[in-house]
Amino acid sequence: MLPFLKIMVRNLLQGPSTDPFPFAPAKTPARFRGAAVHDSEKCILCGICRHVCAAGAIQLRAAEDGSGMQFMLWHNSCVYCGMCAHYCPTGALTMSDNWHLSHLGEDKYTFSEDSFVPFGECAQCGARIQPRPNVIVEKLGGRAPDQFLLCPKCKRESLVKHASDTNLSQFREKQ
Amino acid sequence: MSETYTLPIGPLHVALEEPMYFDIKVEGETVQGVELAAGHVHRGMEALAMHRNYFQNITLTERVCSLCSNSHPATFCMAVENLAGIEVPMRAQYLRVIADEVKRIASHLFNVGIMAHLTGFDSLFMHAMEVRELMQDAKEGVYGNRMNLGQCTIGGTRTDIDADIARFLRGQLEALKPQLAELYGVFERDPLIRTRTRGIGLLSEQEAKLHAVVGPVARASGVAYDLRRKAPYAAYDELRFEVQSDTAGDVHSRALLRLREAVESISIVEQCLDQMPEGPVKSEGFVAVPAGESVARTEAPRGELIYYLRSDGSDTPQRLKWRVPTYMNWEALQVMMAGCQVADIPLIVNSIDPCISCTER
Ligand code: SF4
Ligand code: SF4
Repeated sequence: MLPFLKIMVRNLLQGPSTDPFPFAPAKTPARFRGAAVHDSEKCILCGICRHVCAAGAIQLRAAEDGSGMQFMLWHNSCVYCGMCAHYCPTGALTMSDNWHLSHLGEDKYTFSEDSFVPFGECAQCGARIQPRPNVIVEKLGGRAPDQFLLCPKCKRESLVKHASDTNLSQFREKQ
Repeated sequence: MSETYTLPIGPLHVALEEPMYFDIKVEGETVQGVELAAGHVHRGMEALAMHRNYFQNITLTERVCSLCSNSHPATFCMAVENLAGIEVPMRAQYLRVIADEVKRIASHLFNVGIMAHLTGFDSLFMHAMEVRELMQDAKEGVYGNRMNLGQCTIGGTRTDIDADIARFLRGQLEALKPQLAELYGVFERDPLIRTRTRGIGLLSEQEAKLHAVVGPVARASGVAYDLRRKAPYAAYDELRFEVQSDTAGDVHSRALLRLREAVESISIVEQCLDQMPEGPVKSEGFVAVPAGESVARTEAPRGELIYYLRSDGSDTPQRLKWRVPTYMNWEALQVMMAGCQVADIPLIVNSIDPCISCTER
């Protein structure tokens, strides 16, 4: 008796084992790495995502009026590796479980994650700094929220002042 | 009356679905000599690697080949870690082993499935692929992709396996065990498979050593060389497994050996899930890669994979070179094919589990 016959009969009785997609939804696991999603509310324009992207799918373009940056992620160039989402320090980039990626040829230049991230303002002098969204201030700038919202120049000044104040008070204590 | 003529096969080859050109000298139905010509799909990946930083190269090396798409970035990351002196946390080492072994099972099942297809036994081919589906679903559920796991990063791994995912993975393995045992029985005993594959594509132990073949091809010819045992990396020195070997050295023994290795892999994954320590899965912070050279080796599903890295201290490698298992194995095809029948060529070629996309990168 052929050893495979039993398996073949069983498989025949069980019927097809493929998903009936597109007539029914295909099951997608929660961890599935589909199209990347960008949340401009959380982005600090650090550029790490662009740095780790092997496919060159991410572009950051400065707006002409200097008010912010255009974040672009081309789904057509993306290879869905998820490196950008893994290294994004703020969680602004995530991989969704959306794998519906077919689109018309005429849509190929609009098939992207396209969002505008405005620059922030220095809390002291009003100079243009990288964006400091609230969620991020809570997460990253928790230790010294005031300094987190300053431009590099004001931050330096405030640090120097802080250091000299501490030195002075330590000096006084010693006396 | 016999006549010698040259039979060109390829570049689009029946067995491979990847381009490879054979010039086969035939007398009647018997093969007298083989010449291989490669280079049809050269992609210049080693040059690309010199233009991408270390992070980008993880994704690039993962795309060298889909079936060993975890072995490449894992070995690349090991080479970087060796050079930069990065210590990978123990939990991450176990997670890397799990990813490697899951890929190995899927890769081996794919190869034996194709073998069934080449013997004309397509219902067995489809059944083997369906059994493999259990591992494909496991990859999708655990890592988020059916082929490119994206598990390794420099200094650790990207995804952790929590209690829920571990339960899911164990379930898939449990479902696989009886199926794999049944499949082994079919491949071992089926008369069609036996007549088409036994005593074909013979490679003696001596010839195996002479050609320095690696992986299942070497082990089926009696050379029990397995890097996981010879030079343990990741967590392999803490795991119990048997290096499979055989002495028959024919197409049939290579297929059976792969199936036995898949069984070992299931046990390795289960041991990992049992004894994985708690802790971080990646080392903290970014470490600069200093100037220097390093080498890393792993046992990919097809055999020993070697990565060589030279750095000048910048964030892109100065040179990244890899030697893939197929490179060692395909020269031995000339020995395996000598004297075989024309109809057996695809079976013999498939039995070394060639990966042209690795070899030509
Ligand atoms: S998406 Fe994330 S990684 Fe990319 S620039 Fe914004 S914050 Fe940085
Ligand atoms: S998923 Fe990978 S390829 Fe796609 S944008 Fe992110 S880093 Fe680039």
